[in-house]
Amino acid sequence: MKRKRKDTLLAWLTILPALSIQVVFIYVPLIWAIFISFFRWNMIRPMRFVGLANYERMFTRAEFWDSLRITFIYILGTVPTSILIGLGLALLMNMEWLKFKGLFRTAFYIPVITAMAAAAVIWGWLFEPNYGLLNWFLSLFGIEGVGWLSDPDYALSALMIVGVWKRIGYNMVLFLAGLQVIPKTLYEVADIDGASKFSKFLNITWPLLSPTTLFVVILQFIASFRVFVSVSVMTQGGPSKSTRVITYYLYQQAFENMKFGYSSAIAVFMFGLMLIFTILQFQASKRRTFYK
Amino acid sequence: MTRKPALTKRIIIYLILVAVMIMINLPFLWMVITSFKTEEEVFSWPIKFYPTLFSFENYKGAFSLMPLTRLLLNTLFVAGSVTVLQLILNSLAAYGLSRFKFKGRDVIFIILIGTLMIPREVIIIPLYIIINSMGLVDTYQSQIFPFASSAFGIFLLRQFFLGIPDELEDAALMDGASRLQIFWKVILPLSLPALWTTAIFSFLASWNSYLWPLVAINDSKKQMIQVGLSQFSSDWMTQWTWKMAATTVAVVPIIIFFFFIQKQYVEGIRGIGIKG
Repeated sequence: MKRKRKDTLLAWLTILPALSIQVVFIYVPLIWAIFISFFRWNMIRPMRFVGLANYERMFTRAEFWDSLRITFIYILGTVPTSILIGLGLALLMNMEWLKFKGLFRTAFYIPVITAMAAAAVIWGWLFEPNYGLLNWFLSLFGIEGVGWLSDPDYALSALMIVGVWKRIGYNMVLFLAGLQVIPKTLYEVADIDGASKFSKFLNITWPLLSPTTLFVVILQFIASFRVFVSVSVMTQGGPSKSTRVITYYLYQQAFENMKFGYSSAIAVFMFGLMLIFTILQFQASKRRTFYK
Repeated sequence: MTRKPALTKRIIIYLILVAVMIMINLPFLWMVITSFKTEEEVFSWPIKFYPTLFSFENYKGAFSLMPLTRLLLNTLFVAGSVTVLQLILNSLAAYGLSRFKFKGRDVIFIILIGTLMIPREVIIIPLYIIINSMGLVDTYQSQIFPFASSAFGIFLLRQFFLGIPDELEDAALMDGASRLQIFWKVILPLSLPALWTTAIFSFLASWNSYLWPLVAINDSKKQMIQVGLSQFSSDWMTQWTWKMAATTVAVVPIIIFFFFIQKQYVEGIRGIGIKG
C-alpha cells in the first residue's frame, strides 16, 4: 500500500513538468483567446467588454469572407493534386522489383523537411517574371511568361504550386505505408481469377486504401487551411489582397492593426473549424487500423 | 511472388520516377547554381545554365550583409535546447503514463495529447502576451520554453514504452532498483530508436519554425534563421545571387543531415500514420 502511494506520487512528478508546459503555453492561451474575443483591446488602452460584437463584425465583413474564400480555393487547389501525385508515386514505389527505393523516397521527401520560409525564397526566384526558370520553361513552348507573384490572377496559383510541391513526398510515404499493409494474398487470388490490373486497383487497392486516403485528405485539408509561411514570405497577402488567406488575415489584424479582440474572434472561429476536422481525422485513423 | 513486367515497362517506370525526382529537386539545384553565378549571368536571357566562374563572392556578400553566422548559431542553440528539453520532459511523462496506474491518468493523457488539436496560430496572441508579461520578448527563452514538451513526442514514447515487457521492470524492482534507476538504466537504453525519432522531429520543427519567431523576436541579432532569411530576401528584392547563397547556407546542411537520418524519420511518420 505504501509502495502504491509512493508510486502515484512519482508518477505525478514525472508528468508534472510536461503537463505544466502544455497548460501554461497552450491551454491558458487557448482559454485566454476565447476570453479576449469578447473584448475590444489594443494593448494600449484598457480592455472593454463588447459581448459578441467582434463575431458580428467578423461575419458581416466582406474581407473576412474573402479570406475564407481564398483559403478554400487554396485548399481545393492543393489537397486533391498533392494527394493524386502522392498516390501515383506510392503505387509506382510499391512495385516489388523496384530498386533504389530508399534513394527515391529520400529524394521525394527533401521538400517536406525543408523549411517553408527558405523554400519560399527559392520559389520567389523561380517565379521571377523576367529571368525566372518557370517563365523560361514556358517560353520554350511559345507561352508568354506571367508575373507569377505580381499578377492577382496568378499569385494564388503560384502559392498552390509551392504547397503541392512541398507535400507530395509526405503523402507518398503515408500511402506507401497504407499499401504495404494490404495482404498480398488478395492480389494472388485475383491473379488466379485472371483479374486485370485496373480491376485489381478498383476492387482491392482502392477500397483497402480508403481509410488511408481519408486520413491523408483530412490531414492535408487542415495543413492547407493553416497556410501562412509561403504567403508571408512570397506575397504578404497581395497583390491586391488576392492571397490574403485566413491565417494571414488573422496575423495582420493582430500584429499590424493591433486589434487583439477582433483577431481573437477569428482565431476562435478557426479553432472551431479545425476541431471538427481533427475529430474527423481521429475517426478516420481509427478506421484505418481496422484492416490491420 | 508476382512476375516482373516487361523490360520496356520497367524502364518507363524508372524514367518517370527519375524525372519526378529531378523535377522535385530542381529548385534546390537551381538555388545552388544561382549562388555561384555572377550578377550578369543571372540577368541574362536566354538563361545560362551553369556559372562560368564558380565564385564564392555571393557567399561573402551574404555573410557580410546579414548576420548569417549569428542567425545559424541562434537557431542551432534554440533547436538544440528544445530537443534536449523535449527528450527529458517527454520521456519522463511517457514513463509516468505507461508504467503506473493511478486515478486520473487517462484524463491527464487526453489533456497532454489534446494539444495536438490546438494549432499554434490560434493561440499566438495570448502566447505573445504571456511571453511579453514574462519579459521574454526578444529572448531565446521565448523560443524554447513554450516548446519544451510536445504531445507528439509523449504519444510516440508512451507507445514505445508500453511495448517493453513489465517483467524486465519487475525483475529490476526485485533486485532493489528504484523506479528512476529503472527508467534511466532499463527503459531509456531500450528506447533509443524512439528517442532518436522524436529528437529529429523536435529539432527539425524548431529549426524550421517561422511564425513564432516572427512575432516574438524583433531584434535582428537574436532572430532565427528562417525569419532572418525571409527578411534578407525582402530587403534585397533583386539580389538573387546573394539570396540564393544565403538560402543555400541555411538549407543544404539540413538536406545533408536528412540523408543520414531519413530512415528514422520516415519510420516516425509511418508511426503517426498507422497508429493515428
